[in-house]
Amino acid sequence: MDYRSSVEIYTEWDIVAARQLGRNEARKIGFGTVDQARITTAISELARNIYLYAGKGKIEIERLYENGVFGILIIASDQGPGIADMRKVMSDGFTTSGGLGAGMPGVRRLMDEFNVESELNVGTTITAVKWLR
Amino acid sequence: MDEIIDQWQEQMQEEKGELFFQYMSSEVVDKTSRQFAELMTSNLLESETINEEKLTDFAEKVVRFSWSIKFVNKAIDRFGQIAFNILIEEKVIHTSEIKAYMDIYFEWINPLRDSIVEAYSIEWERTVNLQKIALQELSASLIPVFEKISVMPLVGTIDTERAKLIMENLLEGVVKQRSEVVLLDITGVPVVDTMVAHHIIQAADAVRLIGAKCMLVGIRPEIAQTIVTLGIDLNDFTTTSTLQRGMQEALKLTNRKIVEGESL
Amino acid sequence: MNMRIPILKLGETLIVSIQWELDDQTAIQFQEDLLNKMHATTARGVLIDLTPIDFIDSFIAKVLGDVINMSRLMGAKVVITGIQPAVAITLIELGIRLENVMTALDLENGLDKLHKELED
Repeated sequence: MDYRSSVEIYTEWDIVAARQLGRNEARKIGFGTVDQARITTAISELARNIYLYAGKGKIEIERLYENGVFGILIIASDQGPGIADMRKVMSDGFTTSGGLGAGMPGVRRLMDEFNVESELNVGTTITAVKWLR
Repeated sequence: MDEIIDQWQEQMQEEKGELFFQYMSSEVVDKTSRQFAELMTSNLLESETINEEKLTDFAEKVVRFSWSIKFVNKAIDRFGQIAFNILIEEKVIHTSEIKAYMDIYFEWINPLRDSIVEAYSIEWERTVNLQKIALQELSASLIPVFEKISVMPLVGTIDTERAKLIMENLLEGVVKQRSEVVLLDITGVPVVDTMVAHHIIQAADAVRLIGAKCMLVGIRPEIAQTIVTLGIDLNDFTTTSTLQRGMQEALKLTNRKIVEGESL
Repeated sequence: MNMRIPILKLGETLIVSIQWELDDQTAIQFQEDLLNKMHATTARGVLIDLTPIDFIDSFIAKVLGDVINMSRLMGAKVVITGIQPAVAITLIELGIRLENVMTALDLENGLDKLHKELED
């Protein structure tokens, strides 16, 4: 069951569209309200990072089925400036935008699997997975 | 056939440490033995393959009787040995052909052992999972005690998975019961390390966000010692040593107290 | 698509019920509207009800936190009510604790709390 949908991120409104897509998908897969909130929030953080730092990019959402377990995969990709200091970005309270600095480490805590690939001046791809318990 | 079973039962009974043959009624023992023997010979008689249904059925039974895997193995060994011996005694096998019979014997026993052990471990895993679910179900319920006051007794070790469940049950319960104060009772939690403390602090924080107050009660002396030694900061919340004192505190917070009534 | 969140006045209290998912623009607009209204009416208490909201990300949390701090600077007490369990859990996991914020289970409890605070 290969099922993937995506939202291009150009404006603030696309952030709303991305998280709505994610929430609907999470609901369809059968996640409970708490996990729905976790997934929606994670998508919102990732989409906002794209909007703030790369200007444009894409959020893709895919349904997973592995070893008898359902899950949801979020891919956030952009061709932006990339991440210069990964350690800093992943530490709590670090922000360059005046936000709370909860974004990246927060997303890692909200999801089950989390991976960042980033190259300076080439772009960033973040993948995150949540499994249905 | 019956002879094999009789001998096998006799030998297995001598095995110390397994209580099955000592405590179960002879009827049950007999039936299980027969089932075992049937299973052992099933791939000799009918076709070459082992009957799946019989196999799972047997594994399920054995796990329920809590036979150990060692015991099951021994049972298979003994059965094979006895069968072999009887065949020699009856002069079906001659010592000259022993090599050929050994080969047949191993071809008979080994796949059987593999399947039984596999069925056993699958069954075992299933049982463990069921118990895990059963434990989860009973492990974290929020109990309304008075209007606005609820208690959640925590029993047993807290891991990340359970901590999440506890948090969800706690918050859903607070909203449903409209509690203003919840007492988390950790009397039954054997060890409070940094991780457990972290989960408890998170739960208390989340309770505060939805608009109630969380108190930690049932702190035994050794728990207090570890908490301070580990440098865990619990200053942000009210903690008491016993549920009783926590309850008094909770009543005070909701502007109530217990008064002794006059006896009629 | 720019919707404004209605701010109601009841005695000395401003009551805000956020009924739909906040986008960034609406959130910032709300921050501005609330501060203006507070200034115009000299309200001493603010109640923000979040019952229908099913998620809060770090941006919205920041706007909320800022609103609370700004209101405090202007001499008003703020109570947040109706944060859903799922929302509370995600906030905590994100690492947002919203410290020093008064909270209540629902509108009724919130108003009680606020009145008690204002009496002191």
